[in-house]
Amino acid sequence: MSVIILRNNLKEALEKANRALGEASHLPVLKNFLIKAENNNLIITSTNLELGITVYVPAKIIEPGYFMIPASVFSSLISNITSERLDIQIKDSNLEIKADNYEAEIPILNSEDFPIIPDIENKNKFIEFNSSFISEAFNQIISTVQFSEIRPEISGILFDFQLNELTLVGTDSFRLAEKKISNSKFKTNFDTNFKFIIPIKTIHEFIRVFKKDEIVKFYFDENQILFKSNTVEIISRLIEGNFPDYKAIIPKNFETEIEINKNDFMNSLKLSGVLNPSIYEIKIIIKSGKKNIEVLSTEKSFGKAKSTLLAKIKGKDAEILFNWRYFFDGLKNFKDEAVFIGLNDGSRPALIKSEDITYLYILMPIKQ
Amino acid sequence: MENLEQQELTKIWQSILNEIELQLPKASFVTWLKNSELVDKKDGVAYIALPNSFTKAWVENKYNKIILGNIRLLDDSTKNIKYLVKSAKSSDFPKDADKNNGSKTETSEKQLAFPEFKIDPETNLNPKYTFATYVVGGSNELAYAAAQGVVGDIGKKYNPLFIYGGVGLGKTHLMQSVGNEIKNAYKNQVRVKYVSSEKFTSDVIAAIRAKRAEDVKKKYRDVDVLIIDDIQFIAGKEKTEEEFFNTFNALYEVNKQIVISSDRPPKAIPVLEERLRSRFEGGMVVDISPPDYETRTAIIKTKLQQKNKELPDSVIDVIAAKVRKNIREIEGIVNVVLFYKEQKRADLTPQAVEEIIRKNTQHTPENITPNHIVRATANFFQIPIDDLMGKCRRKEFVRPRQVAIYLLRDMLDLSYPHIGDIVGKKDHTTAIHAYEKINKELNKNSDLNQKIILIKDIINKSSE
Repeated sequence: MSVIILRNNLKEALEKANRALGEASHLPVLKNFLIKAENNNLIITSTNLELGITVYVPAKIIEPGYFMIPASVFSSLISNITSERLDIQIKDSNLEIKADNYEAEIPILNSEDFPIIPDIENKNKFIEFNSSFISEAFNQIISTVQFSEIRPEISGILFDFQLNELTLVGTDSFRLAEKKISNSKFKTNFDTNFKFIIPIKTIHEFIRVFKKDEIVKFYFDENQILFKSNTVEIISRLIEGNFPDYKAIIPKNFETEIEINKNDFMNSLKLSGVLNPSIYEIKIIIKSGKKNIEVLSTEKSFGKAKSTLLAKIKGKDAEILFNWRYFFDGLKNFKDEAVFIGLNDGSRPALIKSEDITYLYILMPIKQ
Repeated sequence: MENLEQQELTKIWQSILNEIELQLPKASFVTWLKNSELVDKKDGVAYIALPNSFTKAWVENKYNKIILGNIRLLDDSTKNIKYLVKSAKSSDFPKDADKNNGSKTETSEKQLAFPEFKIDPETNLNPKYTFATYVVGGSNELAYAAAQGVVGDIGKKYNPLFIYGGVGLGKTHLMQSVGNEIKNAYKNQVRVKYVSSEKFTSDVIAAIRAKRAEDVKKKYRDVDVLIIDDIQFIAGKEKTEEEFFNTFNALYEVNKQIVISSDRPPKAIPVLEERLRSRFEGGMVVDISPPDYETRTAIIKTKLQQKNKELPDSVIDVIAAKVRKNIREIEGIVNVVLFYKEQKRADLTPQAVEEIIRKNTQHTPENITPNHIVRATANFFQIPIDDLMGKCRRKEFVRPRQVAIYLLRDMLDLSYPHIGDIVGKKDHTTAIHAYEKINKELNKNSDLNQKIILIKDIINKSSE
């Protein structure tokens, strides 16, 4: 094997492939890259058996071939070389890297042991997104999802595809976010509805790995999903199980309703929350007929704070405890300045929404 | 070779794995084959389940020969192997899978969660209900034994199992325990579904409306164990009863287990179709009555243990003696007493506890009128109101009259002369006698206790 490649392209590709390296000590082979040279590309693959990432780097292929190499050594070597152009070739059982004023030889490994990356059999049907758009939608959801061994079915984002609309949902059972995407925002040739759950880690990697404004196609089968652009592929398992029937928990009527400036509210949450570093608990006081609401710190031993801010208030008085971080996480996902918050008593969920009706956020209070 | 039982398959697979383990490097064996499973073997094909598609791709490509060779050593009728991906549970993946899942926000213990989410969406079971936390006493030991019998021998021993008893006596706990226990014992090989009869009804209605009757069929007939709570609510809803009857038969014919609960025995559910009633009575019918004193004591102690709290024996004794309606009420009182103890830090004397019980059990809604009580009682015993308030001393009227008097006193705290007036110009001594008679009998006669609880329920509902 012999190739000529630009150092920056290779470095960028290795950084992406690094995302899927395994740390499982029982299988050291997962700490390697599998690298192939074919069809004007150097193709780098890594996997941790949960997901696999394949990156295509344009290169001049003089002689095709493939090899396996320890990821950490190869990555740090490439990222520290300063020359622009690299000659890489296999000599005996070593990989020879030549730069302007640098030469190295690294022993390569037997690629027989590298896991086979599974593939999606049927690639006729797909959904096509702009990478920036779908990453932004994922970003509005991910803060509500946490990895949980006990509850695998909420350790990912629900991907509920209907012909007219796609709905993404995430929850950790304390809060929940729902994002609707109309079919004008994607292209597809699917003609049936379906839904599945994508592991949260896969979503994190998706956001990191795909570049701005790439065209990404989503393919899937029963238990895996493939994201594919011209330069990168991520294949991941899907989570088996049923996502909870969340629609029932979205409150429809409220005893107390407020309209408030998002940024002011986030600021006052932070100011009160700062005095309560361990439990993130704050109290929101709303009095009907007033023009302000109050946000209070609750843990006296850290001091006392109270911020007052303008709000349009409708309905009954309310005094409810919340985790301010949950509120904050939700508010920052809204693009509109003015948000609506609907509250019921201290034991029922609160809802945040704005003029952009495609997104909503629900959170549970803290027990009084 | 015919379709083997799963246990048999597991045994075969284990012995094959033992062989293969010797032929592969340890790391490879652990990574690729440890979580494998032989799920079926028929017509010369062995079906092997693997936890994810990476494993499947690898095993298929690398180990097919070794595995087939070893299977054929045991059984040379096997010609082929098919690999499946099964239940990719997150625990099957390396622990480091969560290494960068963002910052974990610490959640305070008091942070509330969406109540709907505690429930397993596939089975509808709430994992908090188990046999381990179920307190067994004289009043429920038969029901408990039957429930355990079901777990041990699904679909055969007691089918259907019909459990009846009043509100808050632990029917749901027992039924859900059956489901959870089966799920744990047989892992994913037995499909369990728990459903309330309201949910079943609304599914039937939704299906009729959407003209998709097959949805209900698919949902409820594709299970091995169907658990239906509070079946009395489907009585009189013709379409639902019919759909339930069909579901019941479809499952029963293929020896699938059915567990049903109700607040009364099958023969006492009014307007239940005869064919359903006879089906229910064809299996095992067991009752749960209100717990006796000893069981109540045990329940209180279990609750305290679960909460990691303590109360003096004298206090437990007072609660067990005074709160006898149902377990939910006992639980409520225990919570209030604990709260009192922690907040006020005052001495918890038996007198103070009695006071707490007195305050907390008088929760009769204000809008209940004597009329509600009289009407509900007459309806319950299915006698005309006029006879209940009349002079006739026939047994079938006297008993309901006494019950009405007891309820008027117990729920509304009316004076005896006033009560005498209401039930047809009787003397106040008649009222006193009736009240005391019923009150005394309540402790011994669990059937009567249950009836009283039922009538109270009806009254509370009718006044809402």
